[in-house]
Amino acid sequence: MFVLGFHFPASMGNHIPDELVAEKIADVDISDVKEIKLLMGTKERDKEWLSYTNKDTFLFRAMVHYFKEENPDRVQKYMIYMNRYQMSEISKRVDAADDETMKLCHNLDNMEQFRIEVA
Amino acid sequence: MAGAPSLRQIAFYGKGGIGKSTTSQNTLAAMSHYFEKNIMIVGCDPKADSTRLILHEKAQDTILSLAAELGTIEDVEMEQARLWGKGLFDKETPGGWINCAESGGPEPGVGCAGRGVITAINFLEEEGAYDEEGLDFVSYDVLGDVVCGGFAMPIREGKAQEIYIVMSGEMMAMYAANNISKGILKYANTGGVRLAGLVCNARMTDKEYDLALELAQRLGTQLIHFVPRNNIVQHAELRRMTVVEYSPYSDQAREYKELARKIVYNDMKVIPTPITMDELEELLLAFGLEDEVDESQVGKAAEA
Repeated sequence: MFVLGFHFPASMGNHIPDELVAEKIADVDISDVKEIKLLMGTKERDKEWLSYTNKDTFLFRAMVHYFKEENPDRVQKYMIYMNRYQMSEISKRVDAADDETMKLCHNLDNMEQFRIEVA
Repeated sequence: MAGAPSLRQIAFYGKGGIGKSTTSQNTLAAMSHYFEKNIMIVGCDPKADSTRLILHEKAQDTILSLAAELGTIEDVEMEQARLWGKGLFDKETPGGWINCAESGGPEPGVGCAGRGVITAINFLEEEGAYDEEGLDFVSYDVLGDVVCGGFAMPIREGKAQEIYIVMSGEMMAMYAANNISKGILKYANTGGVRLAGLVCNARMTDKEYDLALELAQRLGTQLIHFVPRNNIVQHAELRRMTVVEYSPYSDQAREYKELARKIVYNDMKVIPTPITMDELEELLLAFGLEDEVDESQVGKAAEA
């Protein structure tokens, strides 16, 4: 079973607890990131920048982890659809109290393409 | 069984027209190029389009057509029936390699395509194709939803051990995925075949990810990857190439690379738990893909 690209052994079944996924990204350094910028869409006229700054959430940590992984030059990175949908799916359970995060999850659930940068 | 003990025999099943051959060739190309896996593709579809992107050809001669042309299957030589991939996938190119065979099928409306599949597999086994040095994977690309027992041959004969079902969020694709799961269940105890995951070859319909995920969970398996729709796949196909070769740094190549990585490291192989037709319809209703039916209106014409 793969969640956010992490491999969980088959013996764990097809429902991986959110806490175990959170453990995988617990060590990611978010201290050098103030803002996550997401470019939504592909068609020039419809492209939209989204900003996300709530550092106290699973979603923020998961996105910083995704951005930094295999990206030493910290360049803009395409977001794999499955990872994005899984981030949103988990965030809707664990960050449910945060309106800013839920609003972003709503955007992440759509069919548009996303690219990620950090500042 | 032919081949080294470490050899993994996988199969891509799914409804006709769902994009099995495109998805399988692009994924296998990524497994070979990025993860240096050596692969033999056995196309089990009478239209013989399971290998064209790897070979940069319209369609290779099938084993059955060669046998018909030469007289009998005994007259067919391995070099005629099994071709080496071109470009990135050639044996001489650094990295993994891919070689290809197509079973072919009978004339439309005549004979059994399943018999052709098993004839082709037996031929390749007898000619030593499964014993090729360094072979890591054999991949079968199989038409249909196993309503026809013939197309279940790779499962029935214990060849394909690890099944990936290519589906989408559309009713018939999900119906086929459930039917294939029933086929796997039927032979799971006798042949050891297992369901290894659903691959959603997305049509980009509403709630498609949620629907595919829910079906995967009900079948007891995983949604191993969600492959978004991207025009670059068609552009690559026009040049008879996989996306990995046509545009290796494209977003879509990244998607196939990720699916390839997951298949290479996948250890989740389950006996599926198919659902009933009623449960499938409930699922579609729950995700808003079907309208609730007023039973009192069933069978009544619009003008009645």
